[in-house]
Amino acid sequence: MELGPIFRAMLKAKAGYILIALQIAVTMTIMVNAIAIMQEKNDAIARESGMDEANTFAFSSTSFEPDADMRSLVEEDLDTIRNLPGVRSAVASNSYPLRQGGWSEGLQLEPDANSSDSIGSAIYFVDEHGVDSFGATIIDGQNFTPNQVSFKDPESNTWPAYGIVTEALAKELFPEEQTSVVGKTIYLGDNDPINIVAVIDRLQAPWQSWTGVERSMLIPQRRLGTYQTYIVRTEPGYRDELMPQVEELLANSNKGRIIRSMTTMDHVRMRAYLDESAMVTMLTFIVTLLVIITGLGIVGLASFNVSRRTRQIGIRRALGANKFAIMRYFMVENFIVSSVGIATGGILAVLLNILMVNAFGLQPLSWYVIPIAMLVLWLVGQIAVAGPARRASNITPAIATRSG
Amino acid sequence: MLKMKSVSKTYRTDMVETHALREFSLTVGEGEFVSVTGPSGSGKTTFLNIAGMLEELTSGTYELDGKDISSLNDRERSKVRNEKIGFIFQSFNLIPELDVFDNVDVPLRYRGFNAGERRRRIEKCLDMVGLMSRIKHYPGQLSGGQQQRVAIARALAGEPRFLLADEPTGNLDTNMAESVLDLLSEINTSGTTIIMVTHELTLADRAKRNIFVRDGQVSDGPPELHFAAAANA
Ligand SMILES: Nc1ncnc2c1ncn2[C@@H]1O[C@H](COP(=O)(O)OP(=O)(O)O)[C@@H](O)[C@H]1O
Ligand SMILES: [Mg+2]
Repeated sequence: MELGPIFRAMLKAKAGYILIALQIAVTMTIMVNAIAIMQEKNDAIARESGMDEANTFAFSSTSFEPDADMRSLVEEDLDTIRNLPGVRSAVASNSYPLRQGGWSEGLQLEPDANSSDSIGSAIYFVDEHGVDSFGATIIDGQNFTPNQVSFKDPESNTWPAYGIVTEALAKELFPEEQTSVVGKTIYLGDNDPINIVAVIDRLQAPWQSWTGVERSMLIPQRRLGTYQTYIVRTEPGYRDELMPQVEELLANSNKGRIIRSMTTMDHVRMRAYLDESAMVTMLTFIVTLLVIITGLGIVGLASFNVSRRTRQIGIRRALGANKFAIMRYFMVENFIVSSVGIATGGILAVLLNILMVNAFGLQPLSWYVIPIAMLVLWLVGQIAVAGPARRASNITPAIATRSG
Repeated sequence: MLKMKSVSKTYRTDMVETHALREFSLTVGEGEFVSVTGPSGSGKTTFLNIAGMLEELTSGTYELDGKDISSLNDRERSKVRNEKIGFIFQSFNLIPELDVFDNVDVPLRYRGFNAGERRRRIEKCLDMVGLMSRIKHYPGQLSGGQQQRVAIARALAGEPRFLLADEPTGNLDTNMAESVLDLLSEINTSGTTIIMVTHELTLADRAKRNIFVRDGQVSDGPPELHFAAAANA
């Protein structure tokens, strides 16, 4: 190898190399941090809601008859749905994960406690089918019994005495508890006591960007407003055929209401994470573009250097360099520039990441992002320089004696 | 030993065919100092390029050291150039980005010598051409004569059997040309075969053998040259 003379020759014409090294450094910096952001977004997108999303759909029913008997209407609807072949379970509730709109309450361990001590939680009103319809698994305690379910008109504000909490909410409420939180009492709103009857593994709140997204509580109550949200969980593979079927059945069973917002959970997730997906797409585009531009910059500099050195390449060939040695010269030269750029970029990338972690609460860089980015840029450099290097290797040694 | 038999070289462009060499035959023995003269465009450089394997011939045979080189691939040709042939060019052809040391080092690196061996050879050759004091200079900081001496050092560092020189004094004034010729004679005396293209008869005169090229062929040459050569012998 001829690292020494190659490096010394580069120092004689620094400007071009420094610019390219800088470009590589900037690309590295942006690439690494874009990947960190994309990873965070992708992690968010990949978080499970707790529901059996692939086999669940939801819709709303709005009654416009002022004195409709909502209690029997909802019972009839649920009977109809639950008796359809392919339906695993169904529930009427107020919202569901990723929906962005829902009900929240502050929870406390003591009645009359200072409300600033309260822990926020999403509230889902359900019956004894709620746990299964929401795809949750009870990890401690027992599900609601049918006689625990109460019925309330929307104006009433009495709370049932039972609740099922997610494990995340239980941990937040009782961080010290080692054994079981089942049977413990917590207080909600105006000091209504709630007895925890069960803990479920996971059920997200409707607001996916809320820091407390994993804190939810199921309440055994049906609120008899004119607006109802239904959540239907099907056996695998039945979702798509059941959706129009349910819509038609319900629409025909009662002409005094409209069925709306019929949607799969897949679609709900897609809509909920639209911003994150758009961000990932945009960053992918930017990083790809930057890498391509850097690659073209390397091609440009290498082509310029090959033209500038046409004569010297001929001389080197005359002095005994074979084609491979000429190619290697330009590859090594690129490796040096790339390494300087990548090393600088690596340092800048870490600094920028620290800044972003501190300023925007971004999650810290995964250790493997930097070596992967290094490898990618080294590879891009070598691929970019291969064309011009190949051209250089085809320069005839006769140049040395011709065109004096 | 260098042996060309009926070598032809034809350059083809879109419009014209140039027969730079036609049926060119020449044998140069071990230790000879041959000058090649001839009018401009007669094929002298073409001959030297083929002899030095910088170009391939169109037809004919060329043996170097008893070996037909027409079947060699690029790698092998490069190796022969590197090990057996030293070049000296009219325009010196030093690499401007490298200092004197690194310039002389170029063929030695392709040879694969270790650092100590390279340094020893570089210093020996630079000492021989009297330029040890300029070892850290760049070509741009040297006179034409000094550059050509560095080029000679570079050509000799690999201890080649053949030294090919194309108008080595063409860009030098008379004094410098003389001293370069002195150097070449000295090198030849120590056993290196030299083929030197020149158009200056007084310099050609310093060679032990003169050949004259006309229209791509070896010709008998102008009588005065034969006379000079005879007188020299
Ligand atoms: N690469 C080339 N392409 C076309 N013609 C060439 C090329 N090189 C040399 N020639 C032609 O070949 C002939 C011999 O050239 P050359 O060997 O350089 O002559 P000399 O060195 O004796 O002046 C000239 O007519 C020249 O124009
Ligand atoms: Mg010539």
